[in-house]
Amino acid sequence: MTEKTSSRRTKNIIKLIVLIVVLAVLVVIPIGGGRIRMTSVLILVFLYMAIAQMWNLLAGYSGLVSLGAQAFVGLGGYSLAMLSQVYGLPLWTGFVAGAVISVIFALIISMPIFKMKGVYFTVGTWIVAECLLVLFSIWKFVNYSAGYNISATYKLTPAAIYYVALAICVGAIVVVVLLLRSKFGLSLMAMRDNEAAAEIRGVKLYRTKLICFLIASAITGIAGAGLYLNIAYITPPSAFNISWTVAMCFIVVIGGIGTVEGPIIGAIIYVILNQLLYSFPGFSMLIMGVIAIIIIILAPKGIMGVVNRFFNVDLFGIKRRL
Amino acid sequence: MKEILSVRDLGISFGSNEVLKSINFDVYENEVLGVIGPNGAGKTVMLNIISGILKPTHGSLTFLGEDLLEKKIVERTYAGIGRTFQVPRSFEAMSVFENVVIGAAYGNGISEKAAKEKACEILNFIDLYDKRNQPAGKLNLIGRKRLEIGIALASDPRLLLLDEVAGGLTKSEVTEILQIVSNIKARGISIIWIEHVMQTMIEGTDRVMLMAGGKDIITAPAEVVMASDEVNMVYLGADDNE
Repeated sequence: MTEKTSSRRTKNIIKLIVLIVVLAVLVVIPIGGGRIRMTSVLILVFLYMAIAQMWNLLAGYSGLVSLGAQAFVGLGGYSLAMLSQVYGLPLWTGFVAGAVISVIFALIISMPIFKMKGVYFTVGTWIVAECLLVLFSIWKFVNYSAGYNISATYKLTPAAIYYVALAICVGAIVVVVLLLRSKFGLSLMAMRDNEAAAEIRGVKLYRTKLICFLIASAITGIAGAGLYLNIAYITPPSAFNISWTVAMCFIVVIGGIGTVEGPIIGAIIYVILNQLLYSFPGFSMLIMGVIAIIIIILAPKGIMGVVNRFFNVDLFGIKRRL
Repeated sequence: MKEILSVRDLGISFGSNEVLKSINFDVYENEVLGVIGPNGAGKTVMLNIISGILKPTHGSLTFLGEDLLEKKIVERTYAGIGRTFQVPRSFEAMSVFENVVIGAAYGNGISEKAAKEKACEILNFIDLYDKRNQPAGKLNLIGRKRLEIGIALASDPRLLLLDEVAGGLTKSEVTEILQIVSNIKARGISIIWIEHVMQTMIEGTDRVMLMAGGKDIITAPAEVVMASDEVNMVYLGADDNE
């Protein structure tokens, strides 16, 4: 018993050291201004990792498969654009506003869409996002469909954007890990495995799902601001495009739904594939789709599902042991 | 003995199909009430109504003096009703230990630390301590049934609803289940136990209720029910309702 505890402690220390080393390497990469290509790719990896973690929190743990996550990407992006470009406020206020507006919007739409179950919820979230796209395209307040150049971002170095993206990514992962390591996380994992059984064991499904929805909305809003800090130009068709959610789906499905490690692996694969297929714009989505279908058929639980079959991976110490 | 659950004129219809017509019975403190009846008699539907999964069309349910029909599923768990399912519904990707911790933490509303302590005690009680770190999905059938009972027990129920926990088990495993049920009863917990394995009803219950055609036909000690004309009628097909 003592030997086991000691071996577990050693493993935890090794994991912590590995995580610190990885983080230290990531912090060092942009120093000196070189490695611009790698920096720009990693910015995308970090931001996709963050939004995919949130989509996974909903679809993987709470059973809320949303096709409307782009609503929060767009709200975050527009918060950044409006506050910096129209009101001349510092860029960081756009991130705060992105989170706050996303949470308020999520709270409002939760009332009708949480009454929908399963596929109806999925379609409901998509319709909400499409409504935002239409609204922003005809709304004078947000400059119609012309959108904004976010010129304040021009003054930022790639390294500065890199660190913002890294902070958002680490923040998103830390939030998910802390949630899963708390008592609340037990209810999330129970819901993931069997929602009906979780309810009969005392888990309040509505409350648990709502909390997840609000957290995911806030962080997707922040990551949306981060994405447009990098892109520096926003229009309704790009901000509220379903391709954001399609990317999240792809990342989570190939990485491994219902795991923290899955979206991390999935985001790396997605961004690298996107870069490799950049010269084939017509075929890139087709190839990605084929890859996703093959993985769904061969490994329905994604790469982490296969890895967990052989090694019981628990990089973030989420599993409770005795 | 004091009654803890009182069921009166309980009925439910699905469209034109009246599955339960009128069920009436009481469960007393520290009593094991067995429920038998042919397939389609409405036994599991009755448990689903008591645990809140289904809403009855008519009738009343009083648990510890309170109207149970006013309560949602989770509120019934908090009130002290635990249950198992015919097909075990454990959290398969989670360990045996984590499964029981969930039952304790959420069913009891206690902290995770306290729930872990409770889970240790329960794992010993259901004899699964050695398998505590195994994924629940990798347990064999008797292991899953034990775990299912353990998760329900972790919420400290006053009334435990067992739905065919002995189904599909070997004779020696049925004996193990009988021992567990006897130990649960020794903890002062009342039990409603649906079962097709007659040995369990004869050896493990205080009274048995025979259900058929959506009605309670007879409720009495097991030996009385087994020797009754009603059992012969129901199981030999003489009852027109079946």
